[in-house]
Parts: sequence; C-alpha cells; structure tokens
Amino acid sequence: MPNASSPTAAPAPTRSGRPTAARVARIAGLLALVAVVLLFPSLAPDPFILSVGVVILSYAVLATSWNLVGGFTGYISLGHAAYSGLGGYATALLILRTGLDPWLALIAGGLIVALIAIPVGIASLRVRGASFVIVSIALVLILQLTFQSWHDFTGGSGGLRVPRPFGTEVLRPEQHERFFYLHAVLLALALLTWWAIERSRLGAGLKAIREDEDKAQALGVPTFAYKLTALVTSAFFTALGGGLYALWFGYLDPIFQFSILVGTYMVLMSLLGGVRSLFGPLLGAVVVGYAVEVFKSQYGDTQLHLVATGVLLGLVVLFMPDGVIPALTSFVNRRRRAASIREVSAEELANQREEAAR
Amino acid sequence: MTGSQGSVATQDLTKSFGGVRAIDGASVAFKEGEINALIGPNGSGKTTFFNCVTGMIRPDAGTVTYQDRDVTGLPPHRIARSGIGRSFQLCRVFPRLTVLENVLVAVQPHGLLQRLRGSRNAADVGRARELLARVGIDHLEHAEARDISYGQQKLLELAGVLMGDPHTIMLDEPAGGVNPALVERIADLVRELNAEGRTFIIVEHNMELVMGLSDHVVVFDRGRPIAQGTPAVVQDDPLVLEAYLGV
Amino acid sequence: MTGALFAQSLVLGVLLGGLYALLAAGLTLYFGVMRVVMIAHSAFLILAAYLAWYFHETSGLDPLLSLVITVPLFFVVGYGMQRFLVSRLRPISLTTMSVLLTFAIALTIEGLLGFVWTGTQRRVQLGYSGTSIEVAGVSIAVVKLIAFALAAISLGALFVILRKTSFGRALRATTQHPEAARLVGIDTDRVAGLGFGLGLATAAIGGTALALDYTIYPSLHWHWIGPLMAIIVVGGLGSIPGAAIAALLLGVAASLLQVPLGTTWAQTVFYLALFVTLMIRPQGFFGGRLAQRF
Repeated sequence: MPNASSPTAAPAPTRSGRPTAARVARIAGLLALVAVVLLFPSLAPDPFILSVGVVILSYAVLATSWNLVGGFTGYISLGHAAYSGLGGYATALLILRTGLDPWLALIAGGLIVALIAIPVGIASLRVRGASFVIVSIALVLILQLTFQSWHDFTGGSGGLRVPRPFGTEVLRPEQHERFFYLHAVLLALALLTWWAIERSRLGAGLKAIREDEDKAQALGVPTFAYKLTALVTSAFFTALGGGLYALWFGYLDPIFQFSILVGTYMVLMSLLGGVRSLFGPLLGAVVVGYAVEVFKSQYGDTQLHLVATGVLLGLVVLFMPDGVIPALTSFVNRRRRAASIREVSAEELANQREEAAR
Repeated sequence: MTGSQGSVATQDLTKSFGGVRAIDGASVAFKEGEINALIGPNGSGKTTFFNCVTGMIRPDAGTVTYQDRDVTGLPPHRIARSGIGRSFQLCRVFPRLTVLENVLVAVQPHGLLQRLRGSRNAADVGRARELLARVGIDHLEHAEARDISYGQQKLLELAGVLMGDPHTIMLDEPAGGVNPALVERIADLVRELNAEGRTFIIVEHNMELVMGLSDHVVVFDRGRPIAQGTPAVVQDDPLVLEAYLGV
Repeated sequence: MTGALFAQSLVLGVLLGGLYALLAAGLTLYFGVMRVVMIAHSAFLILAAYLAWYFHETSGLDPLLSLVITVPLFFVVGYGMQRFLVSRLRPISLTTMSVLLTFAIALTIEGLLGFVWTGTQRRVQLGYSGTSIEVAGVSIAVVKLIAFALAAISLGALFVILRKTSFGRALRATTQHPEAARLVGIDTDRVAGLGFGLGLATAAIGGTALALDYTIYPSLHWHWIGPLMAIIVVGGLGSIPGAAIAALLLGVAASLLQVPLGTTWAQTVFYLALFVTLMIRPQGFFGGRLAQRF
C-alpha cells in the first residue's frame, strides 16, 4: 500500500481553479437534490403526479444504468430494454413459479440477467462498435419474439400479472409513495456505482477505451475484460430497474417490455443530459420522462411521439453529440473566455487525421 | 535486467493485406539495452511491423519473441504488461481526458481490488506528476489533451508510455511534425531513459536524428530487412542507397 | 417432412432469400463505403412499400410501375442523406453516431407512416395476387416469383455496376482504401454519396417487391432490420457476395424450419446465426480485413 503522506502526495486534483468553492457548490447541489426527492411525495398534489414521479425515477434508474456502459466505453446499446424487460420477467416468474419473496426475487432476477449479459458481451464486445449495436438491437427483437410466442412460460402476448409485494391494505397513493422511495434508493445505488467506477483505475481504463481503444490497449488496459465488466454491471442495474418497475406496475406485456422505444429513451436521456457526467442521465430522464408523460396525456398514444423522439434524437446526434447540457455549459464558458482562443485546435487536427486515415 | 536476454526478435514474420505483402518473412533481432532504429522508405512495412510486434495486428505467419519468450498473437495489453510500451505514428492521446488522466490510464495492475482502487491515489498521481515534470508539461495537468499543442501531445504520449514502466519502448516517428527544439528534447529524453537501462526501438525518417541517436540500425525495404549494423555501416551500404534513392 | 413439403419450403426459402440478398447487399454497401450501420434501411423499405401501395390505390396501375418514381427518388434521398447528414458526423465516432442518426430517421419514418396512413394493415390486391404456377409438384405464387426476379435482376445490376463501371471501381477503391483512393484522384465524398444513393435504391426496389406479397404496417421494418443485420454480420460486414450467400442460406434455413417450428421460432435462426458467428468468427464468414475492426 502506498504511503499517503509521501512527499509527492498532493490533494486529489480538481478541475476548477478554486476547489473549495466548487466543492461547496457541489455538496449544496447534492443536498438540494436529495431534499427534492425526499419531499416530492408529500408535495405532490395528487396520486397521478406522484405516479409520474415514479415513472421518471424509473427512467432515471434505467438511463443511469445504461450510462454505465454507454458513458464509460462509448459503446451505444440501443436494445437495453432487453435487460430491463428480462429483469421484469425474471422477477415476476421467480415469484410466480418458485414462490420466492418478491425482494429476493428482484435481486435474484438482477443476478440472472447479469449472467445472461456475459455471453451477449462475449459475442458482441470482441470487435468494435458496429457489432455491439447490431447485437443490442437483435437481442431486444429476439426477446420480444420469443416472449410473445412462449405462452407456457411467459404468458405470451397476453401478458403476465405480477403479484404485488405489498398487501391489499396498502392503498394506491401509499403504494406510489413506497415505490417512489424504493426507486430513489436504487437510483442512489446506481449513481454511487457510477461514481465509484469513475474514480477507479477501472474507470480510467474504460474512459480511455471510449477515447481511443487501440491506444488504451497499447497502454496495458485489458479492454475486452473491462468492456464486459461495464456491460454486466450495467445489465444488472438495468434489470433491477425493470424488476422494480414491474413490481410497482403489476403487469408485463412483451410489446412494452421489449420495446425498441424504451431503449431509445435511455439513449436519448443520457445523450441529452451528457454521457460523461454523473447526473447527466438523471437530468435527461427528468426532461425526457416529463415530456413523454405530458405528450402521452395530452395527445394520447399517437404515432407523433415516434416522430418527436426520432427528430429530437437526430438533432441531438447531429448538433450536440456531447449532450445538450454540456454543449450549453461549454458555449457559456467559451464566451466567457473568448480571449483565450487556442492557436491550434488539437481536436480538429485529430479529426482531420482520422479522416485521412479512413 | 540483464543484458544477456534477447530483446524484441522476429522470425519469418509475414503479414499481407489483400494481395500486398506488407511484411515479407522478416527475421530481425533488436539489441537489448541499446537504442535501435528501424528505417526504410515509405510503405516498407515499418508501422505494420510495429503493429505485429505489439499485438495490434495478428501476423499471418512467423513468430515474435521478447526476452526469449514467444509473444506471437498475444493481445496488446498482455504485450504491454510484458514490458513493451509504444507510441503511435501521428501521436495518439485521449483527447477528452485531462493531461493527468491520460498518464494515469497506464496504471492497470492485476487483480479486481487493485483495479477498483481509486485512480487518483496519492502514489499514482505523484508518479504521474513526476513523469509530466520530466517531459516538461506538468504545468498543463488539468488541461484536456485536445487543447494542448501537437508537440505537447507527443510529450504527453511519451509520459503515458513511461507510466507503465516499460523495459522496452517502441516509438513510431517521435520527431515527425515537431519543431527542431522539441526534436532535441525528445532525443535527450531517449538518451537519458536509455542510460537508465531501457531499450529503444525507433521508427524515424529524420536521418540526422537516427544517425546521431541510435546504436544499431535496421533497414527495411518491401517488408524485410535489407541491412543492419551501426549507423556508419548502414549509411554506406549500397543496398540501402538503392532502396532510398532508387539508384 | 415429406419430400413435396421439403421442396416447397426450399423453393420458398430461395425466393425469400433472394429478397433478403438484395436488401442485405444495400445494407452492407453502406457499411463498406462509409462504415455506417444504416438502421433506417428497412424503414425506407417499408416506406417504398407504402408508396407502391398508395400509387396502386390512387392510380389503379400496377404497383411495379411505382418503381419509376421511387427508385430515382430514393437514390436522390440517399445521396442527400450522406452528403448533408451522415457526413456532418465526426469521423472519430462515425460508426456509433451514424447508428443513432439512422435509427432516429427510422423512428421518424415509422411515426410519419403511422400518422399519414394510420397503423392499419395494408395490402395490395391485384388480379394476379392469388395466382400461382405449379412446377414439378411445387406451387409458387406469381407475386413471389416477380419479387424474386426483381431482386435477382437488381442484384445482377448492382454487381455489374460495381464490377464493370468506372464508378464501381471508384466505389470499391473507396471501400478498400479511402486514402489511396483520394490520392489517385477519386472524389471519395461524392462516391460515398452515390454509394449511399445506390444502397437506398435497393430499398426502393425491395419495398415494391415486398408490397406485392406482404401485408404492410408501419412497425414492420423492425422485423426486417433484425434479420438483415444478422445477414451482413454472418456474411462479413462490407462484403456484398458474403451478404448474398448468407441471405440465401439463412432464408432457406428459416423457410425449412418454419414447417416444424412455426413462423416465429423459425425467425430466431437469424439471431442464432448472428450469435454463433460472433462467437466463433467475429469477422464473418466471407468478410475481409475490414470486418475485423468492427
């Protein structure tokens, strides 16, 4: 173990020039976030709003879990609904078939899905990006197909009723409140995991993979093992998110569980909020989740929400691939520091080089 | 590290792309503890050779040995761990990581717990700062790598390679695209590091640098070595003149 | 399985495989030239099918005639898509970002189809819709034959374009070594645009063929993109002959499995093949060095 008081030891570097002020602001922001989450159920005017709160938190769990692989490695999974859907079904089937306690079933479901993610990762992560995306979409399509047809086991396209973990004496608003807090706890765990990985050597290796996989390998990063670790961790949390949602919602339909659209929401939320930051996906989930719920209640289930989602995703990809919030902050920063224009843009150079090498 | 062991050596190494033989049965042995140079006209297979040795590309045939161990076909991170560090032609850094983070990437020990340990621990950060100071860019540690100049990126890449504490360092055109002052600085660093016992294998087009710096020169043409020896010997070799000047 | 049933399934498999081959050729073409996984390929396929259906509904003419409009239209749209959208993406993250972009386009097309023509299932009714011919005990629907012929002719044309014309040479050069292609004076950007247009034109033809024989609805494209992506991975990303061979083999396999397993489970053969390929030979079975990197 290295000696923390060695002469070269220095405080952990922070990006800001004034670490104390930044740290105070960060802690204040975190406390405010916790306070908002804790108080929300008592502030919500009616059970409907509270249930919207549960949905948004669920989206936040899924997006944050997605970001464990998407944000760290840059490998975009469009079929993460496969893991949330499997988590829901695993939880429900374990309760129904084995009579397991619902909460144990939830955790066991998460572990099972994490195991399933291993062969998926082995197949899709040995080569670069394209195969991973293709497998992610294929996975969700094949699961939708099989869960619709496999009547004996999954209830087929008729759906599956999930037993409620709380007795009938617990009324609807109370149910919503409990699940709101449960989702908040899960979200906190997912955020904590992201934070811990981000600061670790594993995280340093993962971020290096995102930036330049060949280079990372040449520096000794075991890229395949790291990518697999990220995927399995992500699948585990995504499955817990799906399972918890299933316990709350009480019903599973393969069309919605294994929906391409749900996977798209996870990507859109993370991209919108910024994949490189801890709270980016959460922020994206609040914005997109709220918009989706409002859109649904205003216009019903029309095809327009597909168009809106598609157009929004396209615009983000084309104009703000780093996320809307990061783009806005860097825009503000750049205006503030307009004087310090660098003479050579190294990124432009890198892009040109990349282009030349293609 | 004793000098009795062999450094990087290849036996009948072959790699084709489509119908083109980029490396054509190359058997080369680099000298342990020395500054080796690998030169040759454009397209003679030097970078492909580097990529085969460091595991970025799998050779079609032949073997690569390092310190008398067969490392053919090992994945790049295993080769890096066995003690070979490398830089890339045109210099590659992680553009959106800070200068300090760039260097810290190279600390990837065995064992899950070791890997889950904070990457910004005092020991690692201290060593990274030492290396940044050594190459002379420690004042930039908080800048993102994409925001520093090309020459600084080259130095950063070298610091990152050194963080892995490699015994053998393979540099692909270290002087390419940088100003003469920086070339001098890089050359000095190479000499210093070599004096500490590190072996170098350098691909370089700057002949003045190659001849001034290296102890042993291998000349490639059309995917195989055509001459080797001290700079003075190689310079007078008629085959080398022919390959370079087409006479 | 009886011999007659086997022969019937085999023929149907080959006919379906032909259509898959054409569509997969387009999909792998984009990847070869631009490293783009074009998720919207099958959405354009369904769009073309809708246009053929709508053309037939409003004009009463044979939907095949809609090709005169849709093929040039799609070619231009494809060219524009590459030049004005895909080329805007940063080269460094092109593969992943292009997936997201084309995915967004697919969602938009699906939504617009549902918005304009509702989610109702549509089908073209033609005088020859129900007719079939019988050869050696095997009965083949005429529409399937037409669809196959269309696919075979287009695939042949694509082959001739790529092998025999100077544009084809430029395109292949761009695929294999873009930098070298630029050095010998090929305008690779323009070639990439034209390649994209060519790929999308195959979707127009495939869509029209599809409209003859299938009931169509907006979300149908998901049922196509899965198998098509599996085909191009099995064939080796970027390899057109690989895509064609994999398409025929998997089409026949799916068709044969349909008898004992039913339609849904037979579909899984594509995904199984995808999974097995990535496990044992990630670069695909017919792909070159290109596929190894992706």
